[in-house]
Parts: sequence; structure tokens; C-alpha cells
Amino acid sequence: MNALTIEGSQSTPSIFADWDLGRLIMQGDSYPENSFEFFGPVIDWIERYLSESAAPFDLELRLVYMNTSSVKAMMDIFDLLEDAHGRGRQVSVNWYYDPRNERVLDLADEFREDCSFPFEIAADEQ
Amino acid sequence: MSSEPRPLHDDEALILRIEGLLAQAAYQDNPLREPLAQLFEHSQGQRHRLERLVRISDGYQTAARSDSQTLAEQYDRQLRRLEKLARISDRYQASLREMSEALREASLHDPMTSLGNRRFLADRLNEETERANRKNSPYALAMLDIDFFKAVNDSYGHGAGDQALCRIAHCIQEHVREYDHCGRWGGEEFLIILPETALESARQVAERVHHEIGTMRHEFFDGRITASLGLTLYQPGETYSATINRADMALLRAKAAGRDRVEVA
Repeated sequence: MNALTIEGSQSTPSIFADWDLGRLIMQGDSYPENSFEFFGPVIDWIERYLSESAAPFDLELRLVYMNTSSVKAMMDIFDLLEDAHGRGRQVSVNWYYDPRNERVLDLADEFREDCSFPFEIAADEQ
Repeated sequence: MSSEPRPLHDDEALILRIEGLLAQAAYQDNPLREPLAQLFEHSQGQRHRLERLVRISDGYQTAARSDSQTLAEQYDRQLRRLEKLARISDRYQASLREMSEALREASLHDPMTSLGNRRFLADRLNEETERANRKNSPYALAMLDIDFFKAVNDSYGHGAGDQALCRIAHCIQEHVREYDHCGRWGGEEFLIILPETALESARQVAERVHHEIGTMRHEFFDGRITASLGLTLYQPGETYSATINRADMALLRAKAAGRDRVEVA
């Protein structure tokens, strides 16, 4: 059970995790009715990857709108990465934002505060 | 720490002395020796208990102290997290609010002329109708239609037609009074609402708008573009649709009478 794919919907991001590449991608808006239920498998996957694999981990984000409980879930995920980084693991976050929506840049920057691992925020030129 | 603690060597000296006395053969038969031995033993027992008690108590205190430090650290950490969560969440909310404001603006305005649209006019008509009935001071309503606008489009192209429409829209807005409302009703029709205005004053505003449109210069041709207006007064108790219908009838009369004029109904 090393693959994790969640189809996106209007209120939830699409999620695709690749164990071999050590990468998890999240994309879209996030205001699920039950964030705990929605992010549970994502957090489990990351925890399991960080404990079972010694390879680097990269989180790729293209998130736009998030409700409060999704913000909290993301903070929990970044805390996991911060702990792993503290144990000497190689982890990184790449957050791509739509250059037409610069607000996301400020928000991503707010998330980045307190993170000491590599956390890049870049305009998405796709 | 007010009283000087008794030096340790005093205790030890006393113990050694008693032990020495109890060991001496000369005192073996002294009747006080047995009670002294008992007292000594009891005292030593108490000493050991006291030391143990202090050790255990110190241990508890250290543990409690480190617990409360850990709790304070956890509390501070959670508080910082909560503040960050609220900060980020507030920003998302603010951006949604701005977006909804922009959407509201867009929903009430005609994107081409940037005047109010039909929905905007309906909102104003509801308000003014309510106010007219409450204060018994009717509003005036003018329906304006650009004369032969189809011919402008057909002869000079839709680009020129759009440009003329925009300029006329601005002209209307510029020459109504500050508290009048105007908007695009549809196509080349505009509505002007003149709150709490008597017919004679309303006619002056309508004539001024009519005149200004007729004297505008246009880039794409030398002629004039004129407008016809139908003007009426709101009648207490009626729906605004009835008022609009009457303004429309006046407009039709203006058209029938050769256009380029203001008719009152």
C-alpha cells in the first residue's frame, strides 16, 4: 500500500504520492467537510514514508484556497517534516503559485515561517 | 536561612562520643547504659528516616518542576501555532471577502460602459419606490434610447458603435445630478432615476442630457448622434414596472414625433 492517489473535487485537492520518487503532490482548493478524515491518509502516508524509507522526501504543492482546518492539517504536515529534518532527514517543500494570484505567495510565506528545511515558493509558469 | 545550620561535624562528634561511651567496658553495668543504647538506636533510626524523606521529597520536587516546565513549553508552542493558524486563516478569509466584493461589483455593473446594469437599476428602483411611498415624495424616471443606433453599427462597424455607446454612457453620467442614478437598461437603452424630484426639475435634467448627447463630437463621422427620452413621475402606490411602462410610452411618442426630443407622460 505504498501508492496514494486521491481524485480532486471542487472542495478537495487532488493528491498523488509516489513512494519510489519520494514525492507527494497536492493541487487545488481545499475545504473538505471533514479535514481530519481527508488529510488522515495523507499524514499517515508521509509518517510511514519518513519512518520506513531513508530516501529524501519532496512535497510539491499547488494549493489555492484552504479552510481553517486544512491550514491546520498543513501545519501538522510541516511539523512532521521539521521533526524529520531535525533528525537529519533530507526533506523539502516546493510551493508553486499562480502568478495571477500573488496572495498565495504571501500565504505560503506565512506557512514557511518556523520551517528550517528547504522551502521554495515559486511562480508556476505552466 | 535565618538560623545557622548546626555544623555536621557536631552531629558526628556526638555520635562518636555516644558510641565510645556505650563501648567502654567500665560502663557495661551502669543502669543508664541500656536506656542510652535504646535512645541512641532510636535517634539513628530517625536520622536515616529523615534523610530518606528529604531525598524522596527533593526527587518529587524536581520531577514536578520539570513537568511544569514541559507544560509551559508545550503551552507556548500551542499558543504560537494557534496564532499562526488564525493569521493564515484570516488572510484566506480576507482574500475571499475581497473576491466576493469584486464579484458583487461585477454583478451590478455593465462591463462595457461601466455604468450600473439592469440588476443595479432594479435595486435602486426598489429603494426609491419604497422611499417615495414612505416620504410621499415621488421620483422621476427617464428612459433614454439612442436614435438610429443600428445605423451607426451598420455603417461604421460594431467597434465604432461600442465606442459611441461608451461615450454616451459617460455623457449621461456626467450630466445628471450627483444623487441621480443612471444605468444601462439593455442594448442602447439607458434609465435615469431622479430621486425626490418634481417633474419640472426632472425635465430640465432630461433636456440637459438630451442636449449634451446631441452636441457630442464623434471620431468616426461628422454627424450627430441624438437620443430620445421618455420622462414620467412615479405615482404613489404603483409598482415601478408601471412607472417604467409609462416612461416607455413617452419614449415611443418621442420616437413617433421624429426622435431627438424629450416627451413627458
